[in-house]
Amino acid sequence: MKGPSPRYSALALLRARFAGGGFWRPLWTGRRLQGAYDVVVVGAGGHGLATAFHLARDHGLKVAVLEKRLVGYGNVGRNTTIVRSNYLLPENHYFYEDSLRRWETLSKDLNYNVMYSPRGVADLLLSDGDMIDAARRGNAMRLAGIDCELMDRAALDRFCPELVASRDRRFPIVGALVQRRGGSVRHDAVAWGYARAATALGVDIIEDCDVTGVRTAAGIATGVETSRGYVQANRIVFATAGHTGVIGTMLDMTLPIETHLLQAMVTEPIKPLLNTVLVYVHPAHGETYVLQSDKGGLVMGGHLDGFPSYTRDGQWTRMEDVVQGAIALLPQVAGVKIVRQWAGTNDMTMDGSPIIDRLRYDNVFVNAGWCYGGFKTIPASGAACAQLVASGTAPDLIKAYKLSRFETGHLLDERGGGPFPVRL
Amino acid sequence: MIRLICPFCGPRELREFEFHKTRAEPGSTPYAQVYERVNRLDDSVEHWQHVQGCRAWMLVRRNPSTGLVLETRILGGDHP
Amino acid sequence: MSAVVRRGTRLTAETLCFTFDGREYHGQVGDTAASALLASGVRTMGRSVKYRRLRGVLAAGPEEPNALFTVGSSPTVFPNVCAPQLELREGMVLRSQNRWPSLRYDVASLLQLGSGFLGAGFYYKTFIWPSWHRWEAPIRALAGLGEAPGACELPTVAVEHFSCDVLVAGAGAAGLAAARAAARAGARVVLCEREPVCGGELEFESGTIEGRPALAWIDATLAELATLSARVLTGTALVGETGGEFIALYEPGGLPGANAVYKIRPRAFVIAMGATERPIAFINNDLPGVMLLGAAERFLSRYGVNAGRELVLFANHDRVYAAATRLVVAGMRVRAIVDTRDATGLGPQAARQRTALAGTGTDCLLGHAVIRVTGRGQVRRAVIAPLASPAAAHSIACDTLLVSGGWGPSTHAGMHEGGVTRYEEALGAFVSTEQPDGRENAGAANGLLELSQALADGAGAGTRAARRAGADGDPGTAPLGSGDGAPRLVPFWRSPADRAGEKHQFIDYQNDVNVADLRAALAEGFVDIEHVKRYTALGFGTDQGRMGGLLGAAILAELRGEPLRDVGTSRLRPPYHPVTMQSLAGLRVGARLRPMRRTPLHEWHVAHGGVLEPMDLWMRTRYYRENGPGAYEAGIAEAQRVRTSGGIIDGSTLGKIEVAGPDSGPFLDALYLNKASTIKVGRSKYMVNLREDGMVLDDGIVLRIAEDRFIATTSSGHGAHMLAHFEHYRDTQWSGCGVTVTDVTEAWAVIVVAGPQSRTVLREVLSAQWRQPLDALTHMAFARGTLAGQDLTVLRASFSGELAFELHCRPSISEPLWESLIAAGFKPYGLEALDILRVEKGYLVSSELNGQTTPFDLSMDDLVKHGNHCIGRELLDRPAFHEPTRPRLVGVRAVDGRMAFYGGAQLTTPDQPHRACGYVTSSVYSPTLSEWVGLALVSRAHADGAVLDCRDPVRIGDCKVRLTSIIHYDPSGERMKS
Repeated sequence: MKGPSPRYSALALLRARFAGGGFWRPLWTGRRLQGAYDVVVVGAGGHGLATAFHLARDHGLKVAVLEKRLVGYGNVGRNTTIVRSNYLLPENHYFYEDSLRRWETLSKDLNYNVMYSPRGVADLLLSDGDMIDAARRGNAMRLAGIDCELMDRAALDRFCPELVASRDRRFPIVGALVQRRGGSVRHDAVAWGYARAATALGVDIIEDCDVTGVRTAAGIATGVETSRGYVQANRIVFATAGHTGVIGTMLDMTLPIETHLLQAMVTEPIKPLLNTVLVYVHPAHGETYVLQSDKGGLVMGGHLDGFPSYTRDGQWTRMEDVVQGAIALLPQVAGVKIVRQWAGTNDMTMDGSPIIDRLRYDNVFVNAGWCYGGFKTIPASGAACAQLVASGTAPDLIKAYKLSRFETGHLLDERGGGPFPVRL
Repeated sequence: MIRLICPFCGPRELREFEFHKTRAEPGSTPYAQVYERVNRLDDSVEHWQHVQGCRAWMLVRRNPSTGLVLETRILGGDHP
Repeated sequence: MSAVVRRGTRLTAETLCFTFDGREYHGQVGDTAASALLASGVRTMGRSVKYRRLRGVLAAGPEEPNALFTVGSSPTVFPNVCAPQLELREGMVLRSQNRWPSLRYDVASLLQLGSGFLGAGFYYKTFIWPSWHRWEAPIRALAGLGEAPGACELPTVAVEHFSCDVLVAGAGAAGLAAARAAARAGARVVLCEREPVCGGELEFESGTIEGRPALAWIDATLAELATLSARVLTGTALVGETGGEFIALYEPGGLPGANAVYKIRPRAFVIAMGATERPIAFINNDLPGVMLLGAAERFLSRYGVNAGRELVLFANHDRVYAAATRLVVAGMRVRAIVDTRDATGLGPQAARQRTALAGTGTDCLLGHAVIRVTGRGQVRRAVIAPLASPAAAHSIACDTLLVSGGWGPSTHAGMHEGGVTRYEEALGAFVSTEQPDGRENAGAANGLLELSQALADGAGAGTRAARRAGADGDPGTAPLGSGDGAPRLVPFWRSPADRAGEKHQFIDYQNDVNVADLRAALAEGFVDIEHVKRYTALGFGTDQGRMGGLLGAAILAELRGEPLRDVGTSRLRPPYHPVTMQSLAGLRVGARLRPMRRTPLHEWHVAHGGVLEPMDLWMRTRYYRENGPGAYEAGIAEAQRVRTSGGIIDGSTLGKIEVAGPDSGPFLDALYLNKASTIKVGRSKYMVNLREDGMVLDDGIVLRIAEDRFIATTSSGHGAHMLAHFEHYRDTQWSGCGVTVTDVTEAWAVIVVAGPQSRTVLREVLSAQWRQPLDALTHMAFARGTLAGQDLTVLRASFSGELAFELHCRPSISEPLWESLIAAGFKPYGLEALDILRVEKGYLVSSELNGQTTPFDLSMDDLVKHGNHCIGRELLDRPAFHEPTRPRLVGVRAVDGRMAFYGGAQLTTPDQPHRACGYVTSSVYSPTLSEWVGLALVSRAHADGAVLDCRDPVRIGDCKVRLTSIIHYDPSGERMKS
């Protein structure tokens, strides 16, 4: 590798224009796997890369990120790109808010445009009961200093005029809980931006490197077995969302995690139609969230496929459910075409909140259990997990994300669904 | 791709079935029964209900990496 | 308009009129938008997304990336409609896209000047300052292809489910052969074809099959299929599959409208979806006038349109000579055929055709390539050079350049179930292999491009599919045919170009991805095809890489210096063909989004001013209009009436599960926290059950109607779930226990009669035989009998705090019974009033039973202490459930009794204003107490009488509340027991 990628700026673009080829450098490729590291991070998704970045930047550690396939090939590149911090429980909303604040400056921090776009997130409400639940959440957020507004139908119509009253909406919308600072981020850019920034700090990101086991001695882990040989590590972090349950099996543990598929889909690009991110949940598996990407496609997602799976093939019937909801919200898009559907595997924990904790050994950590909400927490999770790994003590923001909480009963069950990820 | 065949009703659209949870390890603690999930790439033993059909509960063994159903068996003693 | 009537397989002589960008044009019935415009001499049909380059039509199928139109007039428009697939209708209004103010003059086309900056990855490197959001609005406005619809009126699609023995997708040569063989063998066959007509390339390939011209053979085969009861669906694209079911979409004329969706469950599946022709990259290969060779042939045969007058053909295979021969016959002048292969590549048939073409003045060049085309706004000259010495170029005047780089088999459907691909050097393409049982590729989709091979392959696949489906008849002999020879293709992906030229060698037309972009991606370390795709947007257009995906992979391989087989292509995703959202939604649109559950009294409520609202799938009455202008006023009036005299409410939505059998008592004991087996026959009990993790799941009244028979009621929204819960434990935990579980929710209508006068009114309304039982009923007891010959159960139970009776009656008598109660002076009340009555009395609803509360939180400690060892009980011992920060249920009232406070308000103490110690679960204005009262879940650290800040910044601001006992009204319960 000839040197780090040059700093991005309008001037650099201009210089590159006239420099011919060879001006830009590989963002992360070209590093060689070495024999020993302070920390080995398993998984080059958003959380793994962010953790590695912070381990190197904030704690000066020598870090490798080992990735089975490709940087950003998992959920960081498969989600619907929504960021928000509109959570009910204090253990969650402070953490998610920390992340949202980091999103606001992340492009500058990484010198990589991740296209954070605060176009607002509106959770649509269907009944007075929903309004009360949303008020409870909104009030909790406001007490914590997090922005949010509870809108009645008239205010919502002003905020999101695209939601023109439909004559025959089966479940009328009575209002919305709106977080204006919520919005979207260009998902791939997050992986690439972190990978580039981490590489510049000396992190080795090794793709096509499958971790097959953990070697231990005297009750602590000493390194990982990989498809590219043994790598010694003082500390190991598993950031393998979607496959954390399997990692547990590898470590002879049965975790409170189940892997489920979540689908997303996108339409052909059209001119700006929808500014806000809309979230619409109605009975009988009716869950749809929809936003319009900067490219112009309507990006949509909904409820889990409904059973454990690692296939990444979404069920057609669930795509139908999602689209039904989208048309119920925005009947004007009924003639627009879906051009692509995909799916990601999600670590569903038994209370819907993440796990950032030690895993079986004192020097093995897990940053996982992100359910369907991991993307938005990448910046906060990376910083906090790095602190836990480097110092051995969990910072306040993630103290609640202990694995033992299921046994002690300190559950973080935002939606009150209990240990059944599929049930709405 | 998952294709469920109800032992009573035959092949039916997946929409008619509802996954409940993966079966707990027999003899495990109450905590484990409620919270722990066996996660294997090639084998998953699950409880499903043909909820929009005959309402039978079934034990389904599947390969969650391919979706292939390996075994379907009716639960409940009175059934053939 | 051309005065000549064109002749083509799809055309009639009848003309029709349409507009494109405001100008009127004429076409013939059967024309597509693209064919009619081409016939009218229109070459430019759109602009690209990024650089706004002028573009013409490239392809004749759904892979067309350029000629996408907005159809209709604002606000009801359909954007991005594929012009070569759009069948013209009289008066159709078409507009080009990505241009302003007009197609010819586009302000944003100035972006081309900045193409040096705007390459792959441009956005990631800039717009960081001051923030992306500042720049976003204009960028969003520039992006996005067609106009956003402001309205859409489409009919509901027709959805049809059916099964068959053999499904054949694609009705080209192989598909027809497969369908015929399978049908002859006795299989029930469904053949679906994306195009409006069957035949595929047979439509223009000069072939003969079984001694007849290809078109005649198609007709004969279709006629035979009809006699064999095969179902042929034309204009119907296979779009996806799920769990053994294949989804096909019929979109009439290529425009969303009266669509149909077929969900087909076949025993065997033959994929004969053909192959997609691919272009070759050369400089300015996006100039209008550049078209795929196969597209030109299709426009000619189907629509009688000449792609141009003076043609240059550019290809790497033998087929170009056969095509050129046909184009010449049709009157076009082929100036040159540029073949990238050397003389050894030519087959005998092509060599003969080449000699003949050369004799009529076509310049036939071997070992040459088109380096670039030039012209302002459309092709004027082609610059051609020998590959051995690219500098020795010469140019030929032409108006059209037809290019063909070979064909990529349609692997999409074959890949969905985890199929793998194999690289075929002879095709320069990937073929899907290792199909699951019961499906196989055939014909061009299987990489067999020659007619005789495709027919044999199709017939073989059709026969095997029929056999698999159990049809053992005679499939007949495979059709013999001859057409264009084998292509003898030598892969060739792009012409020589210098680095500056690579910026104009386009790969993915719609997103302006060019060779320079791939080079830039590689330089930045995006090496894997999946990374390159994401970084450059290769394959992200409406064609999803059908046009440029393979070409991009091949050029990436060249740049990486690796074989294409190792580079691979990016993973294809469903749907196989774009699907209109309305079609995906199927029948569940508008009011039919989800089924609506109505109580037997629904029509009565609607007719009598009931304001109904959805609750789960049910519709329930919130209040009656005659009692006030809104829910608040009416609720108060209705609740007051219940307290003073009485009222009736429709409680039919209550879930009811009948549990019967010798083990039903112990069965219920295991499901509920308190005991059912001790309930005496004729009595009922308020019961609570727990979720597996110990949280309160539901509550309700359980009636013992016989020694071995109970009816368990559940809350309205929980009925379906509780039924599955019961069934689950019976079948999985206590398999064999003697219990049947039956949902009887809809077998009983429920009318609640509440209020001090309720017994009096009931005595009046019910027949004489009910008087004695009514008088004898103690609290929580019930009597069973009949009314008007129909079953009736009268249960004395109260959720209002008043003397009250639940009448569980058969739905058929519910309306007369309801009417007679009204005639006796009781008026109906709705949920709003019920809520007031409930909160005044401190009864629980879903606000408290929210899945987050333990029985201790809800002050059910006694129930737990004396109760059963039921499901969920064991996990109640977890330490967190007993910490002082856990909540308990309390009553709340405003310190200043005039102040309102609402459910959802958070409660804090002055020393911890940012973190709540509790929240209000529900609140009502109590007309009886003339103040707001509520229930709250508050940390156990705060005793009754404590004053807390009630914080409601999202609605009405803050006030102070005092914690009180849960029961605000009639704490001793005298009224209800009177």
